[in-house]
Amino acid sequence: MLKEVLKKIKDSKYVSKYHIAKELNTTEEVIEQIFSDLNRMGYIKEENTSTCNMKCSGCSFSSLCNKVPINTITITEKGKKLLNRQSF
Amino acid sequence: MNTIALVGNPNSGKTTLFNALTGSNQRVGNWPGVTVEKKEGSIKYKDKQYTIIDLPGAYSLGSFSEDEIIARDYILKGNPDVVINVVDATNIERNLYLTTQLLEMGAKVVVALNMIDEAKAKKIEIDINTLSQKLGVPIVPTIASKRKGIEELVSKAIELIDDNVDYKAHISYGESIDKEIENIKAVLSKFDLDYPTDWVAVKVLEGDPYVISKLEKDYALNKTSFLKDLREKEEDYELEIINKRYEYINRITREAVKLPEEQIETLSDKIDRVITHKFLGLPIFGLIMFIVFQLTFAIGEELLGGYVAAAVEILGAGVENILIRINAPDWLISFFIEGIVGGIGTVLEFVPLIVVLYMLMGILEDSGYMARAAYIMDNIMRALGLHGKSFISMIIGFGCNVPGVMSTRTLENKKDRMISILINPFMSCGARIPIYLVFISAFFPNHGGIILFSLYFLGIFIALLMAKIFSKTLFKGESSYFIMELPPYRMPTIRNVLRNMWDNVSEFLVRAGTIIFFVVALLWVLAMLPVGVEPYSQESILGKIGTLIAPIFAPAGYGTWQAAVGLFSGIAAKEAVVAILGMVYAGAQEGTALINAIQSAFTPLSAVSFMVMTLLYTPCAATLGAIKKETGSLKWTVFSALYSFAIAWLVSVLVYQVGTAVGLG
Repeated sequence: MLKEVLKKIKDSKYVSKYHIAKELNTTEEVIEQIFSDLNRMGYIKEENTSTCNMKCSGCSFSSLCNKVPINTITITEKGKKLLNRQSF
Repeated sequence: MNTIALVGNPNSGKTTLFNALTGSNQRVGNWPGVTVEKKEGSIKYKDKQYTIIDLPGAYSLGSFSEDEIIARDYILKGNPDVVINVVDATNIERNLYLTTQLLEMGAKVVVALNMIDEAKAKKIEIDINTLSQKLGVPIVPTIASKRKGIEELVSKAIELIDDNVDYKAHISYGESIDKEIENIKAVLSKFDLDYPTDWVAVKVLEGDPYVISKLEKDYALNKTSFLKDLREKEEDYELEIINKRYEYINRITREAVKLPEEQIETLSDKIDRVITHKFLGLPIFGLIMFIVFQLTFAIGEELLGGYVAAAVEILGAGVENILIRINAPDWLISFFIEGIVGGIGTVLEFVPLIVVLYMLMGILEDSGYMARAAYIMDNIMRALGLHGKSFISMIIGFGCNVPGVMSTRTLENKKDRMISILINPFMSCGARIPIYLVFISAFFPNHGGIILFSLYFLGIFIALLMAKIFSKTLFKGESSYFIMELPPYRMPTIRNVLRNMWDNVSEFLVRAGTIIFFVVALLWVLAMLPVGVEPYSQESILGKIGTLIAPIFAPAGYGTWQAAVGLFSGIAAKEAVVAILGMVYAGAQEGTALINAIQSAFTPLSAVSFMVMTLLYTPCAATLGAIKKETGSLKWTVFSALYSFAIAWLVSVLVYQVGTAVGLG
């Protein structure tokens, strides 16, 4: 399933964990877990644009950080290699 | 005494179950060597005492956290006679990952299928018999919070203690991995390991750092060994093994679990098809923003606007009376009336509009729409050969450019980062709003929404244009490619929206109260000096500075020293511009509200030109500080300050000259 998820990420214009879950006949929570597995193993890089945890020494703008971060996913070199190696 | 261990995902209700099992018979200590809490209790069943250990909650039994290592070490070293695996029935498939790992370890497992009532309420149908059969373990449905199923769970667990059935799950990881596991087992069989050999073999292939370092250290299986060969093979063993586990679980849940069909999501799909449409997406984004600005004026000004202005006026008059009554010196009264009331008071009058704007933006963000907006813009930016992620930092810049600039840290590529930093100040931040509002109130009271909307879009347009120019000239190279996640739509929660709004507004007020105060105080002194000169006149130091700069702005239609001083103070903080304008005009023509003063000093065309200047010119000191920090280069900070000024000046002059030429002046 991890490879299928990776393939789905590659083939889509945007990621919807809900859709991937439906397509692979599983739940969003499982897809969530698979994303974090893939991220941990370095096949994808999950990032969000939250600035809430950034340190800006002595600046008073910490309350203005964006609390509804937008997540982005990048397929890493390792992920691309895997996709190339595998024939689906 | 026999021991029963509780293990489960965080939030599976494990602790509730532990409390239900042990009641007040609990001891809390620490796991040796770590700060993780260890909870122990005991129960009596058929006249025998049993110890119950609550293991730390974990999603898996890898070695990614202390909790995981404690839980699996405790189970593997043969301590518990039986393991109760608490599984959240509402999230069964994810919870079964841990179950699978327990079975791989060969632990004796009873599954407590907890929160079974909630699963039923969510219309999740679980065929417990099939599930139990496929997993090969007994399953007891429980509701720990209501103490239901506890008796049966305990009796099943204790039954298992004396049972000698092999509970080990035999998952095939695929031919080549199974073969590799056998090879490793052959090597490992020469050693007397603390852990079951086949489990260690799987972990070695998974690249488990804890197990591998233990093997290297304790068994001298060092660099010359097969471990090194494995590492060099660069196979995706870990991925394959995890993959097989998920497939194994998925096969079982397909048979034993039926999830409800959700209808709401198809609505969300339909919305997304329209909102993220190739051609419709952008006009819809524009329309939504337009509605936001219209509502801002409708609610913020017409409904709430008057109250704050009235309050500022009453409060100002009250304090003024007190000051006169206590015979305060003239300079203090002057500072208070012109500086504080005329300056900061004028800024405060616009707080209601800012409150409403941030509230509406908060609703958009919280609902999940902003991610769609970023997605639409991502497509456009890619079409321009740019990086989409910078649009996310642009959206953040609408609140304040400082976090906007900081958020570019997530861009790994230097080209993308530099461009994103340099264009961020063109995003109209909250501090600039009062300036627009003063001019809108003075000249376009009925068209506030469309003007604010046009200014924001002019900012985006200039930012995109500059980004394109930069990527063609200064920073060439490839952009990195990423995919955006579109989260499900949510109903915005009042709590989140209000909180977000409060953060923005309180930040605004704090800055209005501190930085503006200092800027106002400083410029007030400059307006009074040298001694003997008519205050706020062209002969004051402030007037002279303004007069010196003013000619630069003459072609843009506002070559007055007051406007020049206002813009100049905006480099300290954009909030200060209105305060300074308020002060210099209130001082020059006593008792004149800023709006009346502006009506006589500007024309509608020069007002537009001034707003454009305000939108685009040199970022405030705090933003420049952020740019310096993020680029690490004084050169680029100075560049940012100068080039944005040049562009602002050009566009502002263009607006005024073209406007005059076509007869709008």
